[in-house]
Amino acid sequence: MSKVRDLTAPAGAMPLVEAENVSVELGQDAKRQVVLQNVNLAVPEGAFVSLIGPSGCGKSTLLKALAGLVQPASGSVRVGGLPPHEAARRRQIGLIFQDSNLLPWKNALENAAMLRGVADKAMPRAELRDRASAMLDLVGLKDAAMKRPAELSGGMRQRVAIARALTLDPAVLLMDEPFGALDAITREAMSQSLLEIWERTRKTIVLVTHSIDEAIYLSSEVHALGAGPGRIIDTLTIPLPYPRGEATYDHPRFAEMERRLRALLRRGHRREGPR
Amino acid sequence: MSAAARYGVGHTAEPRGWTAAESWLPTLALAVLVVALWEATIRLFNVSSYIVPAPSAIVVAMIREAWPLAAAAVVTAKEILVGFLAAAVVGIALALIVARFRLFGRALYPLIVLFQNVPKVALAPIFILWFGYDLAPKVGLIVVIAFFPVTLSILTGIEAVEPSLIALMRSVGAGPNEILTKIQMPHALPNLMAGLKIAATFSVIGAIVGEFAGASAGLGYIIQFASTQLDTALVFAALIVVSVVGVGFYYLVEYLERLVVPWAPKFNRP
Repeated sequence: MSKVRDLTAPAGAMPLVEAENVSVELGQDAKRQVVLQNVNLAVPEGAFVSLIGPSGCGKSTLLKALAGLVQPASGSVRVGGLPPHEAARRRQIGLIFQDSNLLPWKNALENAAMLRGVADKAMPRAELRDRASAMLDLVGLKDAAMKRPAELSGGMRQRVAIARALTLDPAVLLMDEPFGALDAITREAMSQSLLEIWERTRKTIVLVTHSIDEAIYLSSEVHALGAGPGRIIDTLTIPLPYPRGEATYDHPRFAEMERRLRALLRRGHRREGPR
Repeated sequence: MSAAARYGVGHTAEPRGWTAAESWLPTLALAVLVVALWEATIRLFNVSSYIVPAPSAIVVAMIREAWPLAAAAVVTAKEILVGFLAAAVVGIALALIVARFRLFGRALYPLIVLFQNVPKVALAPIFILWFGYDLAPKVGLIVVIAFFPVTLSILTGIEAVEPSLIALMRSVGAGPNEILTKIQMPHALPNLMAGLKIAATFSVIGAIVGEFAGASAGLGYIIQFASTQLDTALVFAALIVVSVVGVGFYYLVEYLERLVVPWAPKFNRP
């Protein structure tokens, strides 16, 4: 474990998202199961961090705990120094799931504005509209603002979901396999867009993925999780320079990182054992 | 006609290239054939008209009694419309109560299901006893027959909302009222429209049964009165008018569906 909080660090270096000894148990009574055990995680402000691991390793649960959607049995989560549900209420957390969760009766612009409208009732309508419109522009959907979800492709719907999260102007984007339902080519285009969005907005991003390529290509840091019970096995710092693009895949260290991450995940998988 | 339609390899049974007239033509031809066979059989075997009237006799009865039938149709249509609207209001209100107040809803819902299994046609005499012979007992009967598909369809729609969408709304501080009005209710609108279509056909049944149990006007009253007079041709004529009213009513609701939920998945399939 490489990311234990350094108590001697100055206050300004406090991580934006922090999990300390977080354990999560899910299920009722006899079916109660330890999904995460003693997870420590510190995400510095402005970082792009990925959580990767096999199915059932609890990576999504960890993200939900960071978002305040799941209550840890023990340990604590802080986002910007606040408990996560409090941070979410103050619009500090932008959530993106595998399902874009758009409202089918609203167009892209109204969908992008929807959450901010709920969270921030004091915001004037015109200002909300402008902000949502600017975020749609940022995700590359300027021309689709008046289209309803049924008229958009899967990738475009996910872009609207990202715009909706960005309209909140959160400190961190928590993304749970956002491209999991997309085809390979769309996925790559979305990864590239996400990098550009990250570079332009400088939002902190925590991404849950099961794609090794995606994790290395996007992140500054990858946390590999193992199952049974879910825990962070190790953390890889990705030394590839930003801005990244096509050439990043050909970088000699890309293949090396891929190899190391693969070995790590295999190790975590083997230790899982029979259920 | 497209090539795919011409060779029968289109992905729908009814090729899209067909005009409305062309797609109705086979049905119309079949109907004409059935009516012709009917007429021929009656004439050939000399069947008494009080047992089964010939189509021509039905037409004669319809023309002879055109005014009484029209007046009765107005009475019945009014019962259907008022009853349907009342059933919709009751059905929607019950669904919202069950969805919004979890605990009360859990107590109420099994009772609604239990009530659904009461043979409600049997309630007609009681409603006559309580509400008299006019509009009220028919409306009451239609409500108890037709509210359930409305309630059930809304609840189905509300339950189909993605939990992660609810989580998203909650995370930014939305309360249960806001989630119900902004997410769950609009989400359930396509389901509601489907439920209303079922309720529309149930409403016709409710009105006729209500009139059977006791009425002094309406198409159900004419059917019953004519059958005691052995005027079977008039019974059939009234039946045809009921069917036309019912079908018209159904398509009215279907037309409303297109206006209310043009974004529904069924209208947006590729």
